[in-house]
Amino acid sequence: MKRRRSVLDLLCVIALLAGASGTARAAGQCGVCHPESRVAFAASIHAREQVTCTSCHGGDADTQNVERAHSGSFRGLRNRLATPEMCATCHSDLQMMSAYNLPVDQYAVYQTSQHGMAVAGGDSSAAVCIDCHGSHVIYAAADPRSSVASRNIPTTCGVCHSDEELMERYGLDPGVVEDYETGIHGRSLLIAGNLAAPNCTSCHGVHGATPPGVGDIDKVCGACHVQTRRAFLDGPHYQGMTEAGLPECATCHSNHAIQGLEVASIDTLCADCHGENSDEVLLGSKMHTLIEAATVEVEKAEALVLEGERAALDVEDHLGRIEEARTYLTEALPLAHSVSLEPVEQVTRRSRSIGEEVQHEIYAKLDRTEAHIGLVVFWFYVFMTLVILFLLKRRMSAGGEIA
Amino acid sequence: MSRDKSGILDWFSRRLNLTEIFSLLTSYGLFYAELDTRKPLREALDEALERPVVSYGRWPRVLGLIVVVLIALEILTGALLSLYFLPTPQTAHASLGTILRDVDFGWFVHQIHFWGAQLLIAVLIVRIVRFFIQGVYRKPRELVWVFAALLLLVCFHLDMTGRVLPLTETAFWSSVRALEVVNAVPVYGSFMFFLAGGGEMFVSDLTLLRFYILHAAILPVLAVTLIYLHFSTIRRIGLTEASGDRKRVGRAALRNHLVNLAIILTLLFALLVTLAVLTPLPFQREADPYATVPGVGPPWYLLAPFGFLEITAGIVPQWLAGLLLFVVFSAFLALPFLERSREDRGRRWAVPVIAGLVVLAWFLLTIYGARVA
Repeated sequence: MKRRRSVLDLLCVIALLAGASGTARAAGQCGVCHPESRVAFAASIHAREQVTCTSCHGGDADTQNVERAHSGSFRGLRNRLATPEMCATCHSDLQMMSAYNLPVDQYAVYQTSQHGMAVAGGDSSAAVCIDCHGSHVIYAAADPRSSVASRNIPTTCGVCHSDEELMERYGLDPGVVEDYETGIHGRSLLIAGNLAAPNCTSCHGVHGATPPGVGDIDKVCGACHVQTRRAFLDGPHYQGMTEAGLPECATCHSNHAIQGLEVASIDTLCADCHGENSDEVLLGSKMHTLIEAATVEVEKAEALVLEGERAALDVEDHLGRIEEARTYLTEALPLAHSVSLEPVEQVTRRSRSIGEEVQHEIYAKLDRTEAHIGLVVFWFYVFMTLVILFLLKRRMSAGGEIA
Repeated sequence: MSRDKSGILDWFSRRLNLTEIFSLLTSYGLFYAELDTRKPLREALDEALERPVVSYGRWPRVLGLIVVVLIALEILTGALLSLYFLPTPQTAHASLGTILRDVDFGWFVHQIHFWGAQLLIAVLIVRIVRFFIQGVYRKPRELVWVFAALLLLVCFHLDMTGRVLPLTETAFWSSVRALEVVNAVPVYGSFMFFLAGGGEMFVSDLTLLRFYILHAAILPVLAVTLIYLHFSTIRRIGLTEASGDRKRVGRAALRNHLVNLAIILTLLFALLVTLAVLTPLPFQREADPYATVPGVGPPWYLLAPFGFLEITAGIVPQWLAGLLLFVVFSAFLALPFLERSREDRGRRWAVPVIAGLVVLAWFLLTIYGARVA
């Protein structure tokens, strides 16, 4: 009995010691003087992965003596320009990063970017790691709280790129973020919350942030708009624009304030370069007409199918065909980038003929002529019955008082 | 009076009491005069036709007959529909689709069933209004009123249970709204809620089956019983103007009256067929219990209670509002007994005035309910 108790006491003491030393190591003594940094850091992903104050700052975390804490390997990190190299000590270490499945070439890529090159040139205004990722509070990029989460990227880039004074120094347009936000990509990402929509880094690169040059724009846009790019490369515009030094896609669609162009704008768009009454404008309006006419037929067919559904027709097959017609219509606009009539005509003819076919079939099924003829015949019999009944009544009232 | 004694009718009447069977028609207002069931059918009929028929049977006092004919038509078309209808949540909507699409004249039977129900309720309302205005609830006709009012309520229940059966979008959400109203009424509400198999989402898997049984078996039997009782009271006490009507009408007049009825019924049937062909009820999409269809209110006859509950929500507790609804419905049923007790104190005006105010409030609340739904 006595022995058991002493064993229990020993266990308690060990547990207490282990607990005390554990908390001391995790928090260190740095937070005693730097409480704000400690609180901010505690929320970050680094704190969860056993990165401590000394991992970046060096020094001795186990003492409250100011002198001793800030001695030895201590780094103040007051020099912004030194941070990329410092972060790279871990983030370029393949062994450390492989467990997190993180790439280790960021530092190398960063050095090729406009930001990295400026930093290499000693420009302390250029963006370093902490400008985008934050310093003490760093979240994983997939974390919606992160400054580099997809929906937060435009704001993060905008910290510098919307700063008029700063951008003037580099001769850059401070309106790009605002333009992006009004564009179809920005609205899709920020308003509709479509995380598949591109943010700044989708086109400009992440760590190797560099604007795509003329001649490369089709590749950048084509990464997502595959069919459109294929048609564009097939057509005469690609070569013509490259030779004229025009920024390909951006020539018509602009670069940041990208708008989904209405089909109707094909007419006027062509005239911008080719002049009014040109053959090209005629071609544009032909395409417009083809797409418009097909759309009208498909929409009419769809409305009829819904009407058929309300009349209890079996429209499962028709709904599928409408979907097919819509797919052809979706193909029409990318194909229009080949600036030749034939491929556009092909797909619009298909969607249009499907639309017309479906309309004919539903019309035939919705036809109530038989029922209406039946109703007329029915009323004829009703009328005859009434006539007979009235005649009967008259005859009865004529000889009615027999009783 | 020479009759061919070897006729098939006589063959039967020697073996069956045809008169008694035929007299069943008189219990449903299809034939006015009483029959002497001890005599053979022909003799009894001749005798009945000899009897003078008073003028009470003329328009608009044929509504009871129209009600009977419409209910018979509903039972007939309902029986036809039930041959193909599969009342489970998985098959209900699709089987109505089959009826409308693939079954010969299935759409026609369905539309007649629908429009017949609409006409039936309209006729019942017109009829109860006539009873009220002409005082067909005063002594000794209290039971005439009670049975007619009960019949109206039963037909509302028939309509509500019938609407939800195909599980179409609006029908489904409309019945959810209706059950919300019903649930607010104490006692009756919790009973109906239990009957409807109501769960957390108001409409559960059991609801469809329960509604089907209510709609196809229990409520029709109840309706037919009520009609029988209703006409039984009329046969006992006679119709409103029966006494004091000395107009001489003989056999020819009764036959004349029967011809008039035939004309009215022909027109009624013609109206039904025309409505069914020209304004068919659209076949809506199947309901998704997890996607509320916006703007769907309860059936029109529940719009007023719905509006009332919406107005009082937050002002008085729901059970109190429900209790008030319960009182109004009870007063509607017990109208004859309410007035008799007032009569003694010389306040004959009270019932019509209060009833008028209730009807006005009902009308305004219906408009309000339709707007908030």
